[in-house]
Amino acid sequence: MNSRDNRSGSPSDFGPEIDAALETMSPAVRAAAIRSMTTGRGAALRNAMSRRSILRGSAMAGLAVAGGSLLAACSDDDDKKDSADDGGSGGAGQVVFSNWPLYIDVAEDDENKHPTLDAFTKETGIKVKYTEDINDNNEFYAKIQPQLASGDDTKRDLIVLTDWMASRLVRLQYVQKMDPANVPNAVKNLDPRFKGNTWDAKREYAYPWTQLSTLIAYNSKATEGYAPESVDDLLTNPKLKGKVALLTEMRDTVGMVLLSMGKKTESFTDDDFNAALAKIQKAVDSKQIRRFTGNDYVQELASGDIAACLAWSGDLIQLQADNPEVQFVIPKHGYATGTDELLIPTKAANKANAEKLIDYYYRPEVAAQLTLSINYVSPVVGVQPELLRMDPAIASNQLVMPSPETAAKANTFRALSEAEETKYEEAFAKVIGV
Amino acid sequence: MSKQGRDAGRVELTGLSKRFGGFTAVRPTDLTIPEGSFFALLGASGCGKTTTLRMIAGLEAPSTGRVLIGGQDVTGLPPHKRPVNTVFQSYALFPHLSVADNVAFGLRRKGRKDVAQPVKEMLELVELGHLGGRKPAQLSGGQQQRVAVARALINHPQVLLLDEPLGALDLKLRRQMQLELKRIQTEVGITFVHVTHDQEEAMTMADTIAVMNGGVIEQLGSPTELYESPKTAFVANFLGQSNMLPAAVLGRQGDDLALDVHGVRMTLPASRAVPGSSGSSRIVMGIRPEKITLGKAEPDDAHRNMLRGIVSEASFIGVSTEYRVRIAEGSELVVFSQNRDDERPRVGDEVVLHWNPRHGFGLDAGQDLDAGTGEDAL
Amino acid sequence: MTTPAKTSDAADAAEAAGPKHAGADGRPEPSGPARALRAITGELRRMPYLLLLPGIAWLIFFFLVPLYFQAKMSVSSGTLDKGFDLTWTWSTFSAAFEDYDEHFLRSLYYAGAATILCLVLAYPLAYTIAFRAGRWRSLLLVLVVAPFFTSFLVRTLAWKTILSDNGTVVGFLNTLHITDVTATLGLTEGDRVLATPLAVVTGLTYNFLPFMILPLYASLERIDPRLHEAARDLYASPASTFRRVTLPLSMPGVVAGTLLTFIPASGDYINAQLLGTTRETMIGNVIQSEYLRVRDYPTAAAMSFVLMAVILVIVTVYIRRAGTEDLV
Repeated sequence: MNSRDNRSGSPSDFGPEIDAALETMSPAVRAAAIRSMTTGRGAALRNAMSRRSILRGSAMAGLAVAGGSLLAACSDDDDKKDSADDGGSGGAGQVVFSNWPLYIDVAEDDENKHPTLDAFTKETGIKVKYTEDINDNNEFYAKIQPQLASGDDTKRDLIVLTDWMASRLVRLQYVQKMDPANVPNAVKNLDPRFKGNTWDAKREYAYPWTQLSTLIAYNSKATEGYAPESVDDLLTNPKLKGKVALLTEMRDTVGMVLLSMGKKTESFTDDDFNAALAKIQKAVDSKQIRRFTGNDYVQELASGDIAACLAWSGDLIQLQADNPEVQFVIPKHGYATGTDELLIPTKAANKANAEKLIDYYYRPEVAAQLTLSINYVSPVVGVQPELLRMDPAIASNQLVMPSPETAAKANTFRALSEAEETKYEEAFAKVIGV
Repeated sequence: MSKQGRDAGRVELTGLSKRFGGFTAVRPTDLTIPEGSFFALLGASGCGKTTTLRMIAGLEAPSTGRVLIGGQDVTGLPPHKRPVNTVFQSYALFPHLSVADNVAFGLRRKGRKDVAQPVKEMLELVELGHLGGRKPAQLSGGQQQRVAVARALINHPQVLLLDEPLGALDLKLRRQMQLELKRIQTEVGITFVHVTHDQEEAMTMADTIAVMNGGVIEQLGSPTELYESPKTAFVANFLGQSNMLPAAVLGRQGDDLALDVHGVRMTLPASRAVPGSSGSSRIVMGIRPEKITLGKAEPDDAHRNMLRGIVSEASFIGVSTEYRVRIAEGSELVVFSQNRDDERPRVGDEVVLHWNPRHGFGLDAGQDLDAGTGEDAL
Repeated sequence: MTTPAKTSDAADAAEAAGPKHAGADGRPEPSGPARALRAITGELRRMPYLLLLPGIAWLIFFFLVPLYFQAKMSVSSGTLDKGFDLTWTWSTFSAAFEDYDEHFLRSLYYAGAATILCLVLAYPLAYTIAFRAGRWRSLLLVLVVAPFFTSFLVRTLAWKTILSDNGTVVGFLNTLHITDVTATLGLTEGDRVLATPLAVVTGLTYNFLPFMILPLYASLERIDPRLHEAARDLYASPASTFRRVTLPLSMPGVVAGTLLTFIPASGDYINAQLLGTTRETMIGNVIQSEYLRVRDYPTAAAMSFVLMAVILVIVTVYIRRAGTEDLV
């Protein structure tokens, strides 16, 4: 557990790496990047480069561990800066909010300032202690699990974890039930799509922060105009041989294959899972699959080394801005989605303030501001009109504001028991060579 | 080393010079070092003596001129193809090899397989027979020095080059090694070219010394010759100590020059003055401190050169006393006087200095009389 | 002219003074000042141990303690949710060997290949910097470490661009049919270099090259240039001088460099993850996956130990050999 110990308490900030990456871009690409920053999509760009989505994949999270502990300069100070220092009136108390890096809006002139949080403090007097110290679900869980298990305060009032991990915390009763009276906006504005799920049927424990989708992306130049339509095309079409990448994230890759087989990710069996794995294994053995990637597919997809792959929606907006030949496909069998969930750990000292903050982010105008900045699908009803007003282009982008037909094709992965999780991850690990 | 003919060990330098960028280390030099001689290149640091040696070894390419060894032109040959070996300053022994392997290095490179016997013999010669298995770092300075000599000599070079070989040793050991090296040279009979800044060492060991200064050889000769008849102020000062007396040439009296030194008439054999200087009106007369007799009364022999003065300093050194005697305003002579008399002059005493005119030497007046003294002499 | 004598006089004086100082320690009944002196020298004696403290503390907290927990974890069983209990389950070790022997071998093979490549590339470079660079020496040394100014991750990602299928490097190799040769040897795949063993070994070589250059440079730089001259003077040709003098004297650097390259390279997983495929995964990838994906901490810990043990054995054998073999 050496590597974990090294990490604990030191959220790495990949700032210098982003800068370095910017340095290595061609002038045209850099211009596009800077352009996108000035229209408020800087976060999305930086996401695409290395942050939020790179870290969804657990394999890549390990890289973050290595990058963080070995080389990247950790700028704890910046991250831990109390975002609402100047606005606080003291009496209303505070709320400690742990989130993933670059997963919130930033002021155009100062990336350590978060306008929505500042507005919240101004309005309520509640200080927000905002920390970007979640880089990986498993890793963060390992960090707070001892306190949760022994019934201690984690010193955090609000955390954001991906649905499957959130389901575990709910199952183990490591999180507090929210009082619907304290979150009226959330109750009212939560998109019906997210209302019922297998692990929190009545939405008592968690509210989504954003939705994450896995789609098919391809480089039209590399495929010579051919557009793959389905996961089957990726796995078997000889035109793509040796130029296909799948994701190292088990739920995303297996989920997409399950869907292509006509199975439901909400309700599949062991046999279905094994059949999906066998299908992937066959594609690996025939060398149809080039690699399994974390978010590092971005570079190769842009260069054409990867002709087609599974990709995360959060990466695609920026990727398309830089590379017009990059296209995405929403497979007719549907696509895999997940959510990142807001949770209040047990023993959190400021539960009421945390609820206020959740409720605040379920106001359409606030949610729209967040969406505009980070480009992830919002779970809040009423965001679209707000977005249309702010930026019509974004409002009509299927990746950010999916149409009802698109949204209907979204499938979530069912909650797994710990035993299942271990079994499936182990089997999947064998397929991806580890 | 007679297998390659009588003059295999002769070193000839013709017009040899070396420039490093804008700095001239060695000015064009002609020099012949006879076969079988123990030859010393003596001079202060930076005088070009080591550069000259390195050009003979092939470690430095000359800017102009040629190097001939045993009549063969080796100017273009790399060091490993020249019939010479070097004993380096601080020895440059291979630290990863044993003493025996260090000594055997050259033979092995020449393809000899049966090196055990010659190595043993060579180590015996330098009296290190029992230390063959050690690493250089386990030896004392003197022992390392002998290994360095053995490592070079075992190859039977036509010429052995020694670059300050004793510089790292303490005084006692240096004396011992001087005799040792001399013994070895006599025994093996090959040409030794020895670079040193230590005049005593050069005089003890060498048959012939070349005194170098500023990239040129100032004077070449036997130790006695150099000491008794220096031709420049530098040589006079660098080898031993000299008193320098500026003098006006009054004229010639037979074989002698008549001089005026501080208003006193003196003589100097014309043959003891450097050629050319005897014709000019001014000259510098040199006299070694130990040649001067210091007394209270004038000498009986009226032919001796004589000066009067007052003792300003007297330092007792054991075998002798070193006096400084003021002979005129701002002019002092150094006198070494053996402590034979019971009653020795004291500071403030008025004394008479006198010496045999044949012991004086005449130098060109147009030079720096302090050349070769003080710090720069090292 | 008298100065040589003076220096040796000074040396004699120092030598004479030396034993007197030493003698002060051994006296039986010390007077006041002597006791004070002894107290001071005692203080000075303890000094080195005091200076060691930070290092020892560091080792205890950041090496021994984690190592202990790691060891305990490797023979524990349980799950992350319910916690792990010490059950002295040794099967994790056999599993580590049986299931992942291929990954172990591959790691050693890639790390070994990268180490050899590093040595081949680094030696001439270090030699040039040490003996031929003149006033460029400092600049060249800065350039050697310059890659460290960017992160490991970004540096490795850069190789995706360098070795891109449509890039100039691969195009050049294809034109010369070098990729045909490497493909036959199983080092590359078809016309591509990226996502092949060659790419992984290239990445490892690149990333660890400075760890080879710097110790080599340090050991070469310490060699007295006069030893080269002495060798030349003793009939050694330039090649023979290198083989008999330079190389043996630089062996400490070669040993240090190969260790500094081989050890981290055999545990590396970033290069295999970013530049390889499922067929190039190394043991580091497996350990990382066991920790973060499968969450089987005991197996991951056991594999870490096995890796540590394997490397330790290899290193010990290597050092023994390098240390005892007759270098000439």
